Amino acid sequence: MSHANDRLFDHKLAREWKLKKTRAKVDKRMSLQEAVAKYVEDGDSIIETGFSYVRGPMAAYWEIGRQRKKNLVGIFTPGGLNTVWHEFGGMEGAHVAYVGVEMRGLISPFRRGVERGTFKVFSEWSHGGLALALRAAEQGLNYVACKSMLGTDIMKTNPYIKLAEDPWTGEPVCLVPAMYPDVAIIHVHFADKYGNGRILGPSVNDTAIAVAARKVILTCERIVDTEDIRSNPYQTIVPHYCVDAVCEVPYGAWPGDMPGMYYFDRRLQERVVRVEWKTEEGTRDWYEKYILGTKDHFEMLQLAAEEEGMNVLEYVKQLEYLACDAACYGLGTWGIGGEREWRYEEVAKRAI
Amino acid sequence: MSDIQYTPRELLACVAARMLKDGESVFVGTGLPLVGAMLAKKMHAPNMMAVYECGAIDPEPRQLPWSVSCPWTYYKAPVILSMSSVFGHTRAGYVDVGFLGGAQIDMYGNINATCIGDYHNPKVRLTGSGGANDIASLCDRVIFMGLHLPERLPERVDYITTPGFLDGPGARERAGLPGRGPWRVITHLGVMGFDEETCRMKLLSYHPGVTPELIQQFTGFELLIDENVHETPKPTEEELRILREEVDPNQLFCF
Repeated sequence: MSHANDRLFDHKLAREWKLKKTRAKVDKRMSLQEAVAKYVEDGDSIIETGFSYVRGPMAAYWEIGRQRKKNLVGIFTPGGLNTVWHEFGGMEGAHVAYVGVEMRGLISPFRRGVERGTFKVFSEWSHGGLALALRAAEQGLNYVACKSMLGTDIMKTNPYIKLAEDPWTGEPVCLVPAMYPDVAIIHVHFADKYGNGRILGPSVNDTAIAVAARKVILTCERIVDTEDIRSNPYQTIVPHYCVDAVCEVPYGAWPGDMPGMYYFDRRLQERVVRVEWKTEEGTRDWYEKYILGTKDHFEMLQLAAEEEGMNVLEYVKQLEYLACDAACYGLGTWGIGGEREWRYEEVAKRAI
Repeated sequence: MSDIQYTPRELLACVAARMLKDGESVFVGTGLPLVGAMLAKKMHAPNMMAVYECGAIDPEPRQLPWSVSCPWTYYKAPVILSMSSVFGHTRAGYVDVGFLGGAQIDMYGNINATCIGDYHNPKVRLTGSGGANDIASLCDRVIFMGLHLPERLPERVDYITTPGFLDGPGARERAGLPGRGPWRVITHLGVMGFDEETCRMKLLSYHPGVTPELIQQFTGFELLIDENVHETPKPTEEELRILREEVDPNQLFCF
């Protein structure tokens, strides 16, 4: 198998792969464990979805950690909590537009790795530039000519983008090639069993990513009837034919934020980023306890609740209470049809 | 003479808010710009339109967003688009001001958010551009906010993540950048602009209790001084009240 970077801009390979994917409406539901085992292969490039700690597929990331996948190549636009894999052999390097947690600071495993020279940064990007690489793939374009990144050191530290002259005006433009990641995991609020994914809040790059990536795992807070999706297609950001697996994972974005549903787990994230991951030993202890030491996402959630001296239901309710109310947003009608209760039951059922 | 007490970050937020005009559109970067933009909207610029890189446009947040993708950046937003769309609309000419932070800014307004030291063997690896490069390339003009220390304002940055005037007059045009580039630099010591001829950073005002000489000592290059240099007006009681009670009551930024 070639290196992930050799496949990343290969539009022929990407198209051949997609020609073989099924368009049939088949039930793609499976467990998260199964989906990760089947579709995330050692050495794959894996692109960040959602936006950093909002609607990221965190449950899937932890599962990738548990399955000890090796030498993945990250694509960060933005993101970076999963750079923690690096210290456990799980991430070789990355294409970087942004790795960090904004004013909460830098992500230590990434920083340590780059400063020591073990974590490879294959290319630097701007958010807009990387968004266009994905958009180009979605729109069927070989490349786009844009006005970002010009004149800066990004042009010198990204081997994939090119300075060129606009054939009409003669002005300098930056050419950004269409990007085709090996695997994308997208977390949505609702999905049907065929893989149509609906969200509340911003799609960020996720529609482009769904089309660009070769393999797509859709994780969702809840599976809904396909008639429900068809009654309102406007919030569907992932079309079913892109999707290989559909996994129902309530609280799948935790400890991140799920717009209109639950708030980001600020205490846990601050503790991780500012304290526990600051040293390699701290990172190892945390990882062994929370990731390798738990069997799935629910056990991890339960562990976090216990650490705070809370019952897991109290814990998730507190995160939901902090979320801005979905109805006030005008984001949708979540919560009205008894969804909250259903989720609590799911948690209660799965918690030990 | 006044006995109003405030912290350096509070002053920064108030000075920044005053730079934003009512009716303008502002691309808001992470950190202190989030505070300045919200304060402006609550004070004199209720019709200011904020744009965030996650795709959120013109929200009416009840609380301070803690991230440029936080739910408060699309609370009551009339429209939510995608990342490539909001940058595209910025290139199209719909965004007036880019509002950024960063680790280092140099005499030509170039910003570094990538690494301290040599890129291939960095002393400190930072976050990378995020949307900052696009914001500074594409918005009509750019405001930068940050702390004022010699290592944060070097003559040349270690890595140009985000374009200012690059290496001087005419460089932005030669590079093909559409936006006019850096307009104001707000630090906890003063407010800087840029000389029209040389594109070099120029002191416009010094904050209360600070002198131009002190600011020069805290700057890693020779700072030009505007002929009308003056003391920055202090935060007013009203500005501080809104900042402390409505914008950042939990002191997320202004501590």
